[in-house]
Amino acid sequence: MNAISITVNGQQHSVEVSPDTPLLWVLRDTLGLTGTKFGCGQALCGACTVHVDGEATRSCTTRISTVAGRSILTIEGLSPDGQHPVQQAWLADQVPQCGYCQAGMIMTTAALLAKNASPTDADIDDALGGHICRCGTYQRIRQAVHDAAAKHSSSESKSPAPAAAGGTR
Amino acid sequence: MSTLPALTNPSRREFLKTSATGSAGLLLAFCLPAIASAADSPEQVFQPNAYIFINPQGDVRLVVTRSEMGQGVRTALAMILAEELDADWSRVKIEQGACDPQYGDMTTGGSMSIRSTWDPLRKAGASARDMLLTAAAETWNVSKDECSATGGSVIEHKKTARKITYGQLAIKAASVPVPKDVPLKDPKDYRIVGTKRARVDGQHIVIGEAHYGIDTKVPGMLYAVVARPPVFGGKVKKFDAARALAVPGVKKVFEVPAVEMPPLFGEDRKPDSGHQHYLWGGVAVVADSTWQAIAGRRVLTIDWDNGPGAEESTEKQRATLTELLKTPGKELKKVGDPDSAAASAAKTVEADYETPFLAHMTMEPVNCTASVRDGKCEVWAPTQNPQAVQETVAKAVGISKENVVCHVTLLGGAFGRKSFPDFVVEAAVLSKKTGKPVKVVWSREDDIKADSFHSVAAMYFKASLGADGRPTAWLQRSVFPPIGSQDDVAAKYGSFELDMGWNDVPFDIPNLRCENGEAEAHTRIGWFRSVSNIPHGFAVQSFAAELAHAMGRDPKEVLLELIGPPRIVDPRKSQNVEAFPNYGDPFETYPIDTARLRRAVELVADKAEWGRKLPPRHGQGIAVHRSFLSYVATVVEVAVDEKGGLSVPRVDTAIDCGFAANPERIYSQIEGAAVMGLSLARYGEISFKNGRVEQSNFDGFQVIRIDESPPITHVHIVPNGIDVPSSGVGEPGVPPFAPALCNAIFAATGKRIRRLPIGDQLAT
Repeated sequence: MNAISITVNGQQHSVEVSPDTPLLWVLRDTLGLTGTKFGCGQALCGACTVHVDGEATRSCTTRISTVAGRSILTIEGLSPDGQHPVQQAWLADQVPQCGYCQAGMIMTTAALLAKNASPTDADIDDALGGHICRCGTYQRIRQAVHDAAAKHSSSESKSPAPAAAGGTR
Repeated sequence: MSTLPALTNPSRREFLKTSATGSAGLLLAFCLPAIASAADSPEQVFQPNAYIFINPQGDVRLVVTRSEMGQGVRTALAMILAEELDADWSRVKIEQGACDPQYGDMTTGGSMSIRSTWDPLRKAGASARDMLLTAAAETWNVSKDECSATGGSVIEHKKTARKITYGQLAIKAASVPVPKDVPLKDPKDYRIVGTKRARVDGQHIVIGEAHYGIDTKVPGMLYAVVARPPVFGGKVKKFDAARALAVPGVKKVFEVPAVEMPPLFGEDRKPDSGHQHYLWGGVAVVADSTWQAIAGRRVLTIDWDNGPGAEESTEKQRATLTELLKTPGKELKKVGDPDSAAASAAKTVEADYETPFLAHMTMEPVNCTASVRDGKCEVWAPTQNPQAVQETVAKAVGISKENVVCHVTLLGGAFGRKSFPDFVVEAAVLSKKTGKPVKVVWSREDDIKADSFHSVAAMYFKASLGADGRPTAWLQRSVFPPIGSQDDVAAKYGSFELDMGWNDVPFDIPNLRCENGEAEAHTRIGWFRSVSNIPHGFAVQSFAAELAHAMGRDPKEVLLELIGPPRIVDPRKSQNVEAFPNYGDPFETYPIDTARLRRAVELVADKAEWGRKLPPRHGQGIAVHRSFLSYVATVVEVAVDEKGGLSVPRVDTAIDCGFAANPERIYSQIEGAAVMGLSLARYGEISFKNGRVEQSNFDGFQVIRIDESPPITHVHIVPNGIDVPSSGVGEPGVPPFAPALCNAIFAATGKRIRRLPIGDQLAT
């Protein structure tokens, strides 16, 4: 096993794993970044989505050897303070139920908005159609993507998300 | 109904001993151990009961004793405590309660968390507030009656304009005796309960810091996957581990025996008569990482003894159920004289309905981490039932249940699957065998193939119409392998399932009979969100619409006519029905009230503009169902194109769940129920061939994605005062969805769906 060098959330890591190891398990087991979730192992549900050089990528079917030297962003690194516009919109709209699929949803949305500042419903369906939420939060996800887009494109300073408790909507 | 825990004043030390998990509140991760706050010595913490901790710094920590799986229970239960405590909601911190008999039954299921904790939590909060008031009065040397709580974790003495915080009172309050019979707050003064509140753990989720079972990491931990028998009841004949052991990082490969356990539920728990394999058994691969374990399992060679289960198939089972449905079943309920009425019918309407096996498909596959050491076992489990975990793990490991510590993590979906502790027992057995902490992760394929499935069902209906066109008799007959087969392999009749939308059918028909025939289980049957209300709601509400069609009348009008005038329908007053468990709560408190059923129907019809002019190939369908003591009516609008392509442009749902404790989560649960309802109705089906489950992942067992999801579900909450006790929310939204959908499809196309899932039945 040779060491493989990857950059995750701006930090360089050298990991000694078999080259066929999926990025997902390197993130979770080797680096302890458990915000990226295992859902299906076959790129069918999107729970494991991270950014590889800015592209939304299913980490469960991405061999570590293919991302050597590349820059990986996970939910933990999306923003330094948890206040990325997508995260703020997700909270403001109270999207999550069990929450397990949401890191993947948020990462895909962040990648979408980086390329398309005001996605239509069809754009959202296209970007998030590979994801699954078993609790059925799609209606709020769609709303939150639109809200994040509005926030993202507005020049206003960030409006604070409601406190985790105590807020009403 | 659970026993209410007594309000005692256990020592802080005792609590710390049993509560190694929990802790953390709004800003910290839930996985931090409570020991983080051990700087508070016992005398420095005001702990009036097992639910509330206040330290001199003013931190208010509230203990939640149910499992959070998206329904918002950590928020809702904390709201009840904070309300009576008059705590500053923006600053409370939440802890997950450790297993403790004083919390009563800690099962999360049956949509009963609010109603089963409502009284004890209110009393706990009120009692603590009263003690703080006493402490404040003593501090100021004034009459307690002159002191009041402001709602901001502060007591004030208005006369002298003095204020003191709960933190400042903590030490004094700790020496105040726990009062008896403290008056509860007047609900008109509520500031938290009954208002929309954001969930307490939302921030953790959106930054990836929420701690689910699968995220557990403990020092020295190994990772395992298990190759389980492909056929239910199968066993390992022999296996070759050589190649698996050659995979780098693989430590051990060994056989895990199947372990049978006594039944989990039910009055007559007969030890060791268990049929269900709490542990399927198989071959475990234990490694340094999850991927190495998976890689090792891929190159294992196993010869299985599949047993008689290998003969079973869905095709065979369907044929058997269809045949069984032709003969009368056991008569469960009889009103009037259905046979005579049928004999003189002017018109007869008959229909058969079928619903399939379903898998839970929680986004977080089942998993567990266990550490067996020194006669003790610690588990970190995404479980709905920590006390069943204690019992079953104790038996499997050979220790007493007091020596099993169960840390309840967040659950990445549950839907009933995680009520079943098989996956926890398995982790404990593997830890015992390896002598190390072990995390067992089920792949998606493992999760689906070794699920405890929602049961298949077949139902027959016959209605008689009199000369005036009105229904004179109604017969309904069902056959399905019962959940009781878990406890007793010979069980062939439903038990509590029949109290879920079957014997309690609320129709005002003079002659009515409910039957249930026998059916054998060939796989593991379990609880699934809404349980038997799914098939029963589908069949009863579809048939009501079929009857309307036969009568040439509007389905909503006929539905209201079938429900009849406002009254209480008590199933116990029918012939044969000896008892009606009513979801574990007294019938007198939660009667079957047709006025509430009617109101739900009328509200949803009004909001959905029932009968409005629709575009071509669109249709509306309506259904109503009482389950888990709540009343839910749904109107679905569908569009079906020329090729049979189905879309759902709009859903309206009205829910009457009594007093709405946190309307925010009621909206979200009902929105989600529409999506799950649509998933199940369109695609949901587990099938068997040669005893093996044919589906293996989300490609075979499809669920609705965002592009097929209803763009909007309007949720209408029937307003109720606190005098109408809160009832279920997590489950009752699902049952009326499928019949409303299929009734809408009929309205749009004239095609009647009698078998779920819809699949390609609409293709032209």
